[in-house]
Amino acid sequence: MKVSLYNQLVRAGATRRDVMKGAASMAAVAAASGAGLGALTRPAAAADDLRAQILQIPGVGKGQPTDADFQQVGELCLGATKANVKEGEFAGVELTFMGLNNQNLHNVLFRGFLKAWETYTGAKINWIDLAQADYNPRLQQAIATNTIDFDIVEMGAPFEGDVCGKGLTSEMPDWVRQQIDMDDLVAYLKPPVGTWDGKQYRVTVDGDAHNFNYRTDVFADADLAKAWKDGGGGGEWGVPKTWQQVQAVTKFLKGKQVNGQDVFGYLDAPKPWGGFGFYFLGSRASAYAKHPDDKAWLFDPDTMKPRINNPAWVRAIQDVIDALPSEPQDQINADPNQTCFSQFLGGTGSMLVWWGDAGSNVKTNDSSVVGDVTGFSILPGSDDVYNSKTGQWEKLASGPNHAPNCAYIGWGVYVMARVDSDEKKKKAAWSAAAHLGGKDLSLWCAAYPSGFQPYRNSHFNIPEWVAAGYDEAFISSYLKSEADSYNHPNAAIEPRIPGIFQYYSAAEDILANTFAGKMKAQEGADAIAAAWEKLTDQIGRENQIKLYKASLGM
Amino acid sequence: MADQTLPTNAWPANAAPSDLISPGRKRLGRALMAIATLGLLAVIAVQILYKTEVDTIGFETWRPVVYAYVLWGVALGIGQVLTRGEDGQRALFLLPALLFTIAMVIFPTLFGFYIALTDWNLSSFSGRKFNGLNNFWQMLADPYYRNALFNMVLYVLAVLVEYVIAFGLALLLNAQIRARKFFRVVFLLPLMLSPVAVSWMIGKSLMEYRFGPAAALARQLGWENPAFFSNPITARISIMVLDAWTFIPFMMIMLLAGLQAMSREVLEAARVDGANAWQTFWQVIFPLMLPVSVTAIILRIIFKLKLADIIITVTSGGPGGATDSVSSFIYREYRDRSNVGYGTMLAMAYLIIIIVFVTWLLKFANRFVRNVN
Repeated sequence: MKVSLYNQLVRAGATRRDVMKGAASMAAVAAASGAGLGALTRPAAAADDLRAQILQIPGVGKGQPTDADFQQVGELCLGATKANVKEGEFAGVELTFMGLNNQNLHNVLFRGFLKAWETYTGAKINWIDLAQADYNPRLQQAIATNTIDFDIVEMGAPFEGDVCGKGLTSEMPDWVRQQIDMDDLVAYLKPPVGTWDGKQYRVTVDGDAHNFNYRTDVFADADLAKAWKDGGGGGEWGVPKTWQQVQAVTKFLKGKQVNGQDVFGYLDAPKPWGGFGFYFLGSRASAYAKHPDDKAWLFDPDTMKPRINNPAWVRAIQDVIDALPSEPQDQINADPNQTCFSQFLGGTGSMLVWWGDAGSNVKTNDSSVVGDVTGFSILPGSDDVYNSKTGQWEKLASGPNHAPNCAYIGWGVYVMARVDSDEKKKKAAWSAAAHLGGKDLSLWCAAYPSGFQPYRNSHFNIPEWVAAGYDEAFISSYLKSEADSYNHPNAAIEPRIPGIFQYYSAAEDILANTFAGKMKAQEGADAIAAAWEKLTDQIGRENQIKLYKASLGM
Repeated sequence: MADQTLPTNAWPANAAPSDLISPGRKRLGRALMAIATLGLLAVIAVQILYKTEVDTIGFETWRPVVYAYVLWGVALGIGQVLTRGEDGQRALFLLPALLFTIAMVIFPTLFGFYIALTDWNLSSFSGRKFNGLNNFWQMLADPYYRNALFNMVLYVLAVLVEYVIAFGLALLLNAQIRARKFFRVVFLLPLMLSPVAVSWMIGKSLMEYRFGPAAALARQLGWENPAFFSNPITARISIMVLDAWTFIPFMMIMLLAGLQAMSREVLEAARVDGANAWQTFWQVIFPLMLPVSVTAIILRIIFKLKLADIIITVTSGGPGGATDSVSSFIYREYRDRSNVGYGTMLAMAYLIIIIVFVTWLLKFANRFVRNVN
């Protein structure tokens, strides 16, 4: 008997005697592990126990998970698969899976998770691993040259226009919908996200929004509070709530120290990052540019005329230019990977905007030194917001305008249409995708470094996280920032239009020049707008307008 | 013995001189080649008509055209032997290489020029469209491309500095020093490393602003903020240093080979004539080494013109395009923005610039070496 299986049964309430008595042989127990659990305990309790059990692998604060942990979690979460697939049902099927390998996450975890699935079903998976910056070009080339050489792809919702819009993906069968419990997804990830022309294509494995990570020790430091007051800083020393405050605090912190270490304020990511770096300007701009009465903030939805050169975006660009001299000396050469995993986790900088996996990493990544001194909130707001329709800055009666940037809308697993002609292969591909998007497995991914963040309503059950070893105050702050971002009425939603990363990449190049002082903020913004106009014409304006409106739910 | 009486240029037993080939065999050979050629052209024509949606008959992929090309190549080879006898057999030694070069170099280059004349964005709904010289005019007005070309001029000029260092090291390793063999191997190590590994080990680790040993040393030496990649001049120099560290051994090993091939007698004659060390170097060694030096410099320049990997890994062309090379810019335009048509135009224009520049450089170098000698 496998030790993990034995542990599973014992934790589920069985004594050693029960286990031995209830199993005629080790093989029989192994084959019936899912059903065995049900026989020994009530189903709901079993599910809770399973969730508690996987969250102990390896346990928060007990080092970074390894491949053995991924495999163990994958094996324990196989129950849902077993309910829909017979053992050995996919013998002889080979699938190719394309995904990322950033930070040794994503595909690296998927391999481990699917190990037990492969053993049980008899299918074999071949892997295509890509670095983040290589992802978009690899995908685009495969589509344009009709050389799709993968059956399953890990993909972000922004690419749905390029892939689902061209009929390249397989429609999700009903049994998958039930297996992954789609109703559990947070509201903003429900259709139209993951759908195209009303058909469901995506198994969501992630939810994305940029939140605000800050150092609690810096904003509770008495000496800094005194210096802030003595220097005439506005209000009490504390965590900034608006971008105007972020700017002031960043300038104030230049040259200051906490516990003998240099402390810096906000960390910008000016270096291009294959298009993904543009999100970080977007997070600085959303509070200025996303008006509560207007769903659009990136383009004018009727004409696709870019808004990137309106006063709101130009202010955000100017903010970066103004803040950079107060940030670490080499910040101009920092990409988002560096700001999060090298700088913030390493103790440099006191404010960072990033996806939610920054939060799980500060606590569970071996290189993190800020696990006990990090707090979270939704993105800072702005005292005023630009109204594109009137061309005026407005102060809202409700106070500062907040607009969380739901950047990238999370990763999903998609099955390609090329498997549709082979029913066995199709079922195998969807079964693998459903296993990765399973409810329990997803909780583990949200709690440990995986590249994914919470995205289901069931992920926001704080006692589960506390039982796993998370500090209650820490995890409450983290989960609240995530939930508040997802559910915010003025959330800035990603346009799921073809070529969106070309827009971002073109902007990144021009922004890099602007941040380096080669052009003024307005000039840079105008250059981006011109490049975007050209791109829209090249891709096809009418279609882009139609898809942009659809992605905003207009 | 009978075979000793044969003339040296006698035909092998299984071959026939062309004038002895029967007209029927020649006709068969010509017919075979004609049928194969017609077949190949027909397959190409059918496929083009199908892909341009003029006709409905054709193949889903271009693979059958490749098969037709291979068959045509085989028929061509047989036809050569049938029509030309031994001359045809001799041609068989060359024909596969020629056909391979056409398929793998000449055709892709010509096709590349065609792609350069199209508007082809991979996300475009309408696919590839011919747009004449629009990409070319866009390139002329593109400040990012001009900036990258300017950076290339600076990077190429840095080769002269690399040459001086490489020459110095070669002289050192050519001298009777201790552990000479050990140092030769050690100095070659950077050349054996992948530029991407060099980028991470040195650019992103040793030269890292906060914890990099090079930054720590620079602080000790009085540089308050040793950020190697944050301002345009230091970033450019840092990239040049990284690239030089990798490729100086290449120049050094060529120059060392030249020094070791140099006649000892000439050097001894100079010494007998009373030349000091500097005079020996400047008036004897350096002129004699010019042909090797020119070869080393030209090869290094050709390598330098392709510089991209270190830049992509360390700076992504920044800050503000200060370190961008033409190749790294094309990489972004082509890969990040899927702008295949324009990216290809940039690459083709750069290819022509390189060909013209290197041709001029070779002529200039020849004249220079001739004048000096």
